Amino acid sequence: MASIAVPAPRVRSRWARALERYYGLSVSVVSVLCFLLLWEVAAERGWINARFSSQPSQIWRAAIHVGLTDDFAYHCWVSFAAFALGFAMALAVSVPLGLYLGTSRRGRLFIEPPLMALYTAPRLALLPILIVWLGIGLASKVAVVFLGAVFPILVNTMAGVRSADNRLVTAARAFGAGKLDIFVKVLVPGSLPAILMGVRLGVGRGVLSVVVGEMFVSEAGVGYQIMTYGQAMQFNNLLVYAFTISLFGYALTVGVRMLEDRIRSWRPAS
Amino acid sequence: MGQIEIRGLSIDYRKPKSDETFTAVENVSLSIEKGSFVTIVGSSGCGKSTLLMAIAGLIPRARGSIQVDGKEVSKPGPDRAMVFQDASLLPWRSVHANVRFGLELQRWTRDDIDERAMRYVRMVGLGAFADYHPHQLSGGMRQRVNIARALAVDPDVLLMDEPFGALDAQTREVMGDELLRIWERDKKTAIFVTHAIDEAIFLGDRVVVMGRNPGHIRDVVDIDLPRPRTAVMLDSPAFVAYRKRLREYIAADMQSLQMVEDVV
Repeated sequence: MASIAVPAPRVRSRWARALERYYGLSVSVVSVLCFLLLWEVAAERGWINARFSSQPSQIWRAAIHVGLTDDFAYHCWVSFAAFALGFAMALAVSVPLGLYLGTSRRGRLFIEPPLMALYTAPRLALLPILIVWLGIGLASKVAVVFLGAVFPILVNTMAGVRSADNRLVTAARAFGAGKLDIFVKVLVPGSLPAILMGVRLGVGRGVLSVVVGEMFVSEAGVGYQIMTYGQAMQFNNLLVYAFTISLFGYALTVGVRMLEDRIRSWRPAS
Repeated sequence: MGQIEIRGLSIDYRKPKSDETFTAVENVSLSIEKGSFVTIVGSSGCGKSTLLMAIAGLIPRARGSIQVDGKEVSKPGPDRAMVFQDASLLPWRSVHANVRFGLELQRWTRDDIDERAMRYVRMVGLGAFADYHPHQLSGGMRQRVNIARALAVDPDVLLMDEPFGALDAQTREVMGDELLRIWERDKKTAIFVTHAIDEAIFLGDRVVVMGRNPGHIRDVVDIDLPRPRTAVMLDSPAFVAYRKRLREYIAADMQSLQMVEDVV
């Protein structure tokens, strides 16, 4: 009987397999650690002035101090509430409106010029007007977050619907689909990846907006603390808050991206 | 069920961004017996797909009538189902859910929809792939899903628009055999558009030859080959004679195009 040589399965250690599986994550972690280490050493050796550029170990000490004495949780909560409210409103407006504008040419022609004008306008310039309308406090911040997040989601949703595959629409029509069927079963699921991409961009804009908003129109919150510590030249404390914000924004972005990957799982890996 | 009468059918397209129209199909009359397998063959631009879309009720006609079982066609209906070329499956739905799609749209009752879809997935030999998504399948498998989706809604007429056009030659032959095997179970009226002459002869009871400028019927050839059809027949004298005859039509059509271009 002829025998066929079967290649022996490669034996690899548990470590090697774990490294392979979490390759991307490992590289990212190493990258961050390298950066922090370089920063620490540079400040220690006096290559850079630690007074103005801070130092990871000092920031760490400041973080413990801030966490214990600075009403840290309260400021985070104030910012988070403004972000969550503004972002929820942005979602509630932009997704339905984007879906509608994606299907209606007349609606698009009517609403696109003012929309684009507002999209490209510097939102910071509108801040004084918002303050006059809404006062200093939660309402203004929510409005700033809303204005920051609403456009990326809206524009991407619109584009998602408009780029729907015509062949799928024709196939649905051949099976007797009405307008509502086509909308619900073809256009909406088809534009979900684009909507989520808009949400991801909107998260970034929204987080940025809440901080900027708080620097101008607030008496509490992470942005307010950043402003205060900046004016007092307490950069260690300032950076604690800045890192908190980036961590929050990063985590949320990664979360949305995971959702995107899940929903995209029907697509060939790119 | 599934008798089709087409009389004096013309279809106009409006040229984009102008009021001019051009005629894609002119004065086509054709009657298709229920339960027969008719193939439509012609070079590209002869209006064969347009004709099929009109029977499906997807495009309006300028003049003439199309009747299915005595009923005038005005829009898509449950008596007709269409198999498209490629990429007409919903990429976010599994094989099973894609076959369900037509049933959902035609408002089949919830209870038997899953079971019925599964039955047709199995019928085209994809039982083990029910949970796969289209991008995980080969082109041939995707077209099996496409056929299952159309048959699942139990139409009287099966319309197929170059369903194997994107497949390689070998897969194409296998799919042709498979299609006939499925068709012979309940002999629904089938209209199959293709530009491949051999495929048209192999599958059809009759081959409708179309020419262009504007799209019209040049001839209708009855294919007198026994069923079930087998690959051996491809080399039989009768088959070769049909092939020769159809080729001449297509070649003449290409020449007429050449002359038009010379004049212009």
